[in-house]
Amino acid sequence: MNPKEYKYTREHEWFCPESENTGKTGLTKYAESQLGDIVFLDLPAPGTQVQQFEKMGEVESVKAVTDLFSPASGKVVEINTKAVDKPELVNEDPYGEGWLVRLELTKPSELDALMGSDAYGKYVESLSQEGSE
Amino acid sequence: MFKKTPLNRVHHDLKARMTDFAGWELPLWFTSILEEHNAVRSRAGMFDVSHMSRVWVSGKKSGQFLDKVLTRSVHRLEIGCSQLCLMCMVDGGILDDLCVYHVGTDEYLLVWNAGDTERKLNWLFRWSESDADITIKNATDDTAMVAVQGPAVCQLGSMKALRNLPRFGHTRAKIDNVEVFGARTGYTGEDGFELMSSIADASPLWRVLMDQGVKPCGLGARDILRLEAGMMLSGQDFDASANPFEAGLAWLVDLDERDFVGKISLLEIKRQGIKRKIAGFEITGRGIARSGYSIFKSGQEVGKVTSGGYAPALGMNIGLGYVPVELSGIGTGIDILIRGKMVSAQIVDRRFYKKGG
Repeated sequence: MNPKEYKYTREHEWFCPESENTGKTGLTKYAESQLGDIVFLDLPAPGTQVQQFEKMGEVESVKAVTDLFSPASGKVVEINTKAVDKPELVNEDPYGEGWLVRLELTKPSELDALMGSDAYGKYVESLSQEGSE
Repeated sequence: MFKKTPLNRVHHDLKARMTDFAGWELPLWFTSILEEHNAVRSRAGMFDVSHMSRVWVSGKKSGQFLDKVLTRSVHRLEIGCSQLCLMCMVDGGILDDLCVYHVGTDEYLLVWNAGDTERKLNWLFRWSESDADITIKNATDDTAMVAVQGPAVCQLGSMKALRNLPRFGHTRAKIDNVEVFGARTGYTGEDGFELMSSIADASPLWRVLMDQGVKPCGLGARDILRLEAGMMLSGQDFDASANPFEAGLAWLVDLDERDFVGKISLLEIKRQGIKRKIAGFEITGRGIARSGYSIFKSGQEVGKVTSGGYAPALGMNIGLGYVPVELSGIGTGIDILIRGKMVSAQIVDRRFYKKGG
């Protein structure tokens, strides 16, 4: 379910490489389902410099607010304005239409610190088990 | 350990996302808060409201007693009718809002909010002074309650026995062989009923309604529905530190005629006037205000948000909060500090959503 070619953070962002030093990021299916209906996105303006694992925006559902962290350091080159206008896209298609930010990376090697889809799948499973106790 | 309603098993079977509310484990949502909100605004949805307290007050002096502890007299409340009112402290602070049903001669049912229920029961016991002609019985744990809400509720086959009830009317009836005590009330701004049943009948009742297309809804939808309709949430939009004039609930207080607990203070508060008042606002900038955020005017903090969120029926972000009376007028510009950012907002009529409007 989590795309194989994507990389994942412990904070449930994904990164999809598009070239050597650019890619898109968004929220994972797990994050989306935990938040419930997403109704508001506060994304960084294009041009903003972001640091790996540091806050770059906020995502709000009907019931909760969560910070959006950058999966890698670099510059915001584009945000998904369609999702800003229609935040439900994040619920409907978190890995596609519901992408959030396109980044130009300054240190692509930082991506090695992210999880692959199998490792992320196991990580989410461990969280679900904790939650049910 | 959370208390569980008679429908707890059903909620888990439906894979509801559960949450803690006033010590009860209740559904936050079943499928999606927005879908559930939409079902209630456009058709029919139902909520497990078994956590709300149901307290019977009976006996020869029950009417006289309720007239002493409630802010509206039950004297003219006919059998088969109900009314909203408040229980106030001696200083005029609001203990809770509640609905009182006149069920039979010397027989009343009180339905109030789940929070602090022992405190409210003890308050009643205290003022009843162990009078043998007043019996107070908490029936919360012996019954279930389901609220069925939405414009299509009256057309449901099951509601045949209830659809002729006037607003606030109530009766005992059978819904597909389930005995209920049904009342035409609710907390969503839509038409509908609240149905009380035995514990054993709760799940069959829920299933029968589901089979007729009534969508199970959780507290998330309930909270935005009531907020859109400008209805206060006890313990959040007001508590014992607020009086009815501040909380916009003076319409539930009858200061004429009889004496009741808190009346002397309320008369004095009315005479002196209030300094702060609850007001509705809509966000004109970008952001969602949440309970506890600060309200500013010209850079000065002037109050707090008590409820806030996205209102799907309006496509806007709205909220309630206390502001100085002089800033409570419709059209007044305010700012709300949303996680470090000042966001502009404007005072509006707090009945944000009006049925059919």
